[in-house]
Amino acid sequence: MAAANQDTTRPQNTRSIMGFLQAHAPFSNMDDDHLAHFAEHATLRFYADGDVVLCAEDGIVHRFYVVKQGRIRGERHNEKAEKTETTFEISQGECFPLAAIIGERPTRTLHRAVGDTFCLSIEQNTFVTLISESEPFRDFCLRGVSSLLDQVNQRIQTGAMASIGSSISLSTPLERYAHRNPIVCSPDLPVRKAVARMHENNVGSIVITDDSRHPTGIFTLRDLRTMIAEETCTLDSPVRQIMTKGPCCLTAQADAFDAAMLMAEHHFAHICVVDEDEQLIGMVSERDLFSLQRVDLVNLARTIGTATHLRTLVSLRTDVSRLVDAMMAHGADSGQVVKIITTLNDVTVRRVLELNIKKNDPGIPFTWLTFGSEGRQEQTLLTDQDNGILFQTPEGMTEDQVREKLLPFARVVNDELAECGFTLCKGNIMASNPKLCLSDREWDDWFIRFIDASTPQNLVYSSIFLDMRAVFGPKEHLDELLDRVSTRVRKNALFQKMLASNAFRRKPALTMFRNFRFVSEGKKHGLDLKRQGLAPFVEAVRVFALANGVKSANTLERMDDLVQKNVFDAKDAAAWKDAYSLIQAIRMRSHQEILERGEELTNYIDPDDLNPLDRRILRESFRQAQRLQQKLEVTYQL
Amino acid sequence: MLEQIRQWIERRRKGLTGKMAPENTPNPKSPGDQLLSECRLIVLDLETTGLHPNKDEVIAVGAVAINGGAIDLSDQFDLVLRRPELDITKTVLIHGIGTEALTQGHETEDALLFLLEWMNGDPVLAYHSAFDQKFLEKTLKAELGYTQNHTWMDVADILPAFFPDALTDGKGLDNWADHFGLEVSARHHAASDALATAELTLIAMNKAHKNGLKTLRELHDKLRYQRRLKNIHRM
Repeated sequence: MAAANQDTTRPQNTRSIMGFLQAHAPFSNMDDDHLAHFAEHATLRFYADGDVVLCAEDGIVHRFYVVKQGRIRGERHNEKAEKTETTFEISQGECFPLAAIIGERPTRTLHRAVGDTFCLSIEQNTFVTLISESEPFRDFCLRGVSSLLDQVNQRIQTGAMASIGSSISLSTPLERYAHRNPIVCSPDLPVRKAVARMHENNVGSIVITDDSRHPTGIFTLRDLRTMIAEETCTLDSPVRQIMTKGPCCLTAQADAFDAAMLMAEHHFAHICVVDEDEQLIGMVSERDLFSLQRVDLVNLARTIGTATHLRTLVSLRTDVSRLVDAMMAHGADSGQVVKIITTLNDVTVRRVLELNIKKNDPGIPFTWLTFGSEGRQEQTLLTDQDNGILFQTPEGMTEDQVREKLLPFARVVNDELAECGFTLCKGNIMASNPKLCLSDREWDDWFIRFIDASTPQNLVYSSIFLDMRAVFGPKEHLDELLDRVSTRVRKNALFQKMLASNAFRRKPALTMFRNFRFVSEGKKHGLDLKRQGLAPFVEAVRVFALANGVKSANTLERMDDLVQKNVFDAKDAAAWKDAYSLIQAIRMRSHQEILERGEELTNYIDPDDLNPLDRRILRESFRQAQRLQQKLEVTYQL
Repeated sequence: MLEQIRQWIERRRKGLTGKMAPENTPNPKSPGDQLLSECRLIVLDLETTGLHPNKDEVIAVGAVAINGGAIDLSDQFDLVLRRPELDITKTVLIHGIGTEALTQGHETEDALLFLLEWMNGDPVLAYHSAFDQKFLEKTLKAELGYTQNHTWMDVADILPAFFPDALTDGKGLDNWADHFGLEVSARHHAASDALATAELTLIAMNKAHKNGLKTLRELHDKLRYQRRLKNIHRM
């Protein structure tokens, strides 16, 4: 019998329970021995519909349960409302009561069976043995939600990965990609010799370093082409005359994502990798990062940034969508992907503005502002325009005279952006609206009125105008404006409280009954991931950010800053960031799927279309939103 | 559990403990005032070479124990008996035990003694228990000369007694398992069928408790009454 495979040495019922457990997280990641230990020490109990499984009166929790069949509903008595509320509902393969058994305390929630229900359970000492011996189990029990979130992220990646067939992850440190011993030369070397050295080594670029190996410039084949075509200098001139000075540098600890973003922003194809003393140690090219992709970020950003016709810009938008797919496949998380989309959108907006200035310069310098999700750098493929203009009134002109010149220009830009796929804003929050094409003095007045006279309409606008960013034109005037706004908000406790209660009204899509709360209008089973999922996070975080002088407009960055300022507990913030990113990831994946089917993009999903793990994660994420709102409730005594 | 059996068999072989004789096995308990919510019940299923107790043989015994109203998986019995000489070609397709598994099985005498000890004289439940009872009694008598009477109860009677209105498609184990949405992992595997039977028993006991039926005797009496009713209907 010893020679027979392990399976047959275990009793059939043990094997079947192991098989059941293996279909569910965290058991799916546990070793067979640990699963067998669970199965051999488990008891199976039956609860009829409505039976109490566990309640506070049972005292300190001594058993850990897994639902084998049926469902368990959590109930808490709400003293204020004098009624019982369902706090959760869990189904096959899910565990309870985690917090209570780990905290060695009675449960605070009454657990009731819904329908004919069987639960497997183990005693506390078995539970403790498993926690101490099985890492996946320990991770799951101690980290709860966030470890599940990781698993989903991993799965999204492997799914996308399978279609691309690459094992490169964007969070891999650069040292993994960097070419060691890059080809270098001194600034005085003639171009001819530098090119010869590139040719000998079969590379497309050469780094120019000073005596202490600090990179001072870079020379590439593209530069050579331009040099010859435009006859800017001769092959015998020293390379320093033609090199690109001050090349982009990153340390080896930076990751591939940092490099990709830097390349996309500056349209560079090469980045120097340096050590702490800024000495050159390696070189990364875009081809190293994206060797397996058909569309790549840097190239796409460059093509958009140099397009000469609106037509080209419009056609490039489909590439953006393909890129998003590839990015997710390369392990970019949703936070990274929305930044990429925003970056590419910025490039597009800038190019549309540049092309129009070339064609028909209004003759007045201005700053192009974006609000809302683009302001927060959280754009997905489904995006509409929220923009405005900030200008300095030139001497001898009135503000209205400036507007006379800028508004027709802005109108054309808005229309062309619409052609590029940025839907016209239904609320007319666009630069061509005279109310949003303002001088700095007018914007100041506007915000004073906005903050001091907080009408309900103003509060609706808060999600738009309090997340503001400059995309084109001088930044400093906007920075000054934002400083003044920030100071005003921090001084105005009443405004903060109104913002908070407004944010508090944005309830996550969880009912007290049957899990998900669906939007009443439109599709029967629609769940609006943006309004019911992301907005509760965005709005609550904004309140805390503004009240504590956080400068960033990006929700994830705001949370990081709030941890720095000790407003958020680091562990809470980590769970909230995970939950937020996950909803965003599910939303984006759904966008990609809708695009593949050639349908119109929406933010609605039907949870029934999700697999059980995703559904459960989504529910957990919404619960995190509720926790964040509770913090709001407590802080502002709502 | 297997570890336990192996240790027990080894001990026996080495003669370290007093030889367990059939007459030293625990005495069968009769259905008295034991509380259903506290007592231990055996739920058992046999795989046999055929359907006729007088000519067919037991090849596998699967059993689980219900303890204090819950199935305790640390307390189960899952054995293939060593019966290489048996012709199992007739039934091998149904239960999936091939000759190889049988030759690897435990010495029949040892296994049966261990079963008796494990059963601890507790009442035995089975689905269509008359079948299992006949086979087991015959085997115990032939192998060990053991003739004590255990208390048997038929889960096929218990279920309709507590769920008279249940609309099942038939009277089989599968029908009831389907009715309550149970998943049976490996049908016709003795242990797996025993577990399914035990799960149905838990469902019935939950209902019994709600109907105010508390002791083993009350359950036993109710089944007897039920059977008498059925017989009257038949006449």
